[in-house]
Amino acid sequence: MTAEQHARIRVRQRRRREFGRHLVLGLIAFILVAPFYYVLLASLKDSTEIFSYPPKLLPIPPYFGNYRDLLWNTGFLRWMFNTLFVATSVTVLKVFLDSMAGYALAKIEFTGRRLVFLLMVILLMVPIGALIVPLWSMVSGLGLINTYWALILPPLANPLGAILMRQFILGLPRDLENAARLDGLSEFAIYWRIVLPLIKPGLVVLAVIIFTDQFMSFTWPLIATTSDELQVLTVGIAALRAHGGANYGVWSASAVMSLVPIGVFFFVLQRQFLARSLAGALKQ
Amino acid sequence: MGLDARVMPAAPSGRLRLAPEEHRRLSRNRRLRREVLGWAFLAPMFLCFVIFLVLPVLGTVWWSLRSGGLGGDTKFVGLKNFIDLPDIVGASAAVTNTLVFALISVPLILVGALAIALLLARIERGGSIYRFLIYFPVLVPGVVAALIWLFMTNVDFGLFNGVVRGLGGKPVVWLGADHALTVLAILDVWRNVGYWALFFVAAIIGLPKELYQAAELDGASAFARLRYLTLPLMRRIIFFAVVVATIWGLQVFDTALVLTSGGPGTATTTVIYRVWLYMFGATNKIGVASAISLVLIVTILLLTLVQMRLLRGRRGGD
Repeated sequence: MTAEQHARIRVRQRRRREFGRHLVLGLIAFILVAPFYYVLLASLKDSTEIFSYPPKLLPIPPYFGNYRDLLWNTGFLRWMFNTLFVATSVTVLKVFLDSMAGYALAKIEFTGRRLVFLLMVILLMVPIGALIVPLWSMVSGLGLINTYWALILPPLANPLGAILMRQFILGLPRDLENAARLDGLSEFAIYWRIVLPLIKPGLVVLAVIIFTDQFMSFTWPLIATTSDELQVLTVGIAALRAHGGANYGVWSASAVMSLVPIGVFFFVLQRQFLARSLAGALKQ
Repeated sequence: MGLDARVMPAAPSGRLRLAPEEHRRLSRNRRLRREVLGWAFLAPMFLCFVIFLVLPVLGTVWWSLRSGGLGGDTKFVGLKNFIDLPDIVGASAAVTNTLVFALISVPLILVGALAIALLLARIERGGSIYRFLIYFPVLVPGVVAALIWLFMTNVDFGLFNGVVRGLGGKPVVWLGADHALTVLAILDVWRNVGYWALFFVAAIIGLPKELYQAAELDGASAFARLRYLTLPLMRRIIFFAVVVATIWGLQVFDTALVLTSGGPGTATTTVIYRVWLYMFGATNKIGVASAISLVLIVTILLLTLVQMRLLRGRRGGD
């Protein structure tokens, strides 16, 4: 066999393997995404069509009654507003506080910083769901139940952001801040004008992590609010299931509509979203 | 440019030389300044951390030693709640359900994620579109995911039974007592497999290429490369994933609430679900609720410590 033939066989073999991988991955991706198409389809059918068998695979003509019901007969728009408002507030506050804390932990040698860091790492994984008894009694003792404060303040406690920011800031070269210090910049100016611009990619990743976590959070908002006015999206949708009777059309419309904002963000900030998955690796 | 005596302005010699006590005073001032600055930068975040995380953890310990309800009087009962815990049917069922849930979901998530990652790391084109699709379920709130699955598992017109019928089988009651917990676990696999798949992809891409080239030259099969190179090299990362995925699995609540309402009976009532029921559905169970919360917290802390030891080992070793 000539070398040329040999090479050709290898190329063909490689192509065949690549094709096989695409086949398997395509199948997996299809299975993972199919439920979304299924629910989108259901949201565009009226109540008789939803239950008919065999199901229609294309919603023609589409029926928009479910979306009309969802938007005008439930608190959906209010829930969406609450979720976006709370998630944005938490994100802005937390990125600011966490980057400051991270700066202190990384660059300023004060007594107790090792201990503080250790405590943060140890409590990193304790979920808010395991703390609802004391948290509820504390927040209601402060008279904050059914306020936006109850939704915004407790999530600020999560130490992940400070730990990540510390890691990011530790990676910056010392010369820069020393030069700034020689120029007579105050410590806050160094943080604000030198460090923050340098860790911008890290800040965006952190913001994405916090925002999506807030968008998806359920346990604490469920407990911290009882009034319809303050329900966030996840709590409202759960209530739809609990109280609204089995209205599959409206349910599926609510599922589709609640995926819209996260889908848009995901599309725009795809790289940062995928870095979310790597935040765990960063910790190492 | 060097510091040269000729270009430097001559300083009055008396003012540059510091007396020893003045030197000490200045360095003490600087140290004090550092302390104040450090704590000032840390304080806003740290206060939130202490008030809404450290105190509630201690509060859980305090509540777990008491009996009574949220509204009324409570009194100190010592370790009674913990001693009673195994005999309280609702509480022990919740612990069992949560453990079984994690035992089903975590291995499936990680094996699935690893398989996807191995494929994804080796394809030459189109990786980003697969990443996008595989990651999408990760971004769905648990409540919404459960709603979608409620739909798919419906006995009469759901997608699952549609497939079963298509294959000539009999419709299955997916959310009945036999399957509900398994379905809940599979739902979790659907939501989390993409997260860990992308986590593993990053790890695989970071593995040293030379080893693989050498193995290929030596004629090692794909399976041998996986068995003797990839898996051993990723040992620590996989272990990390096992610990974190388990910790997340132990927190399951929202999907159980929406998909099955904890049922049928208590078949899918998990730990946090039970705490929530005790808090708002019972009048005198606050101590027991805190006791199972504490069991969960301690379990998570132990897992965290295991993982910290592991990561420390990594830093010192390879």
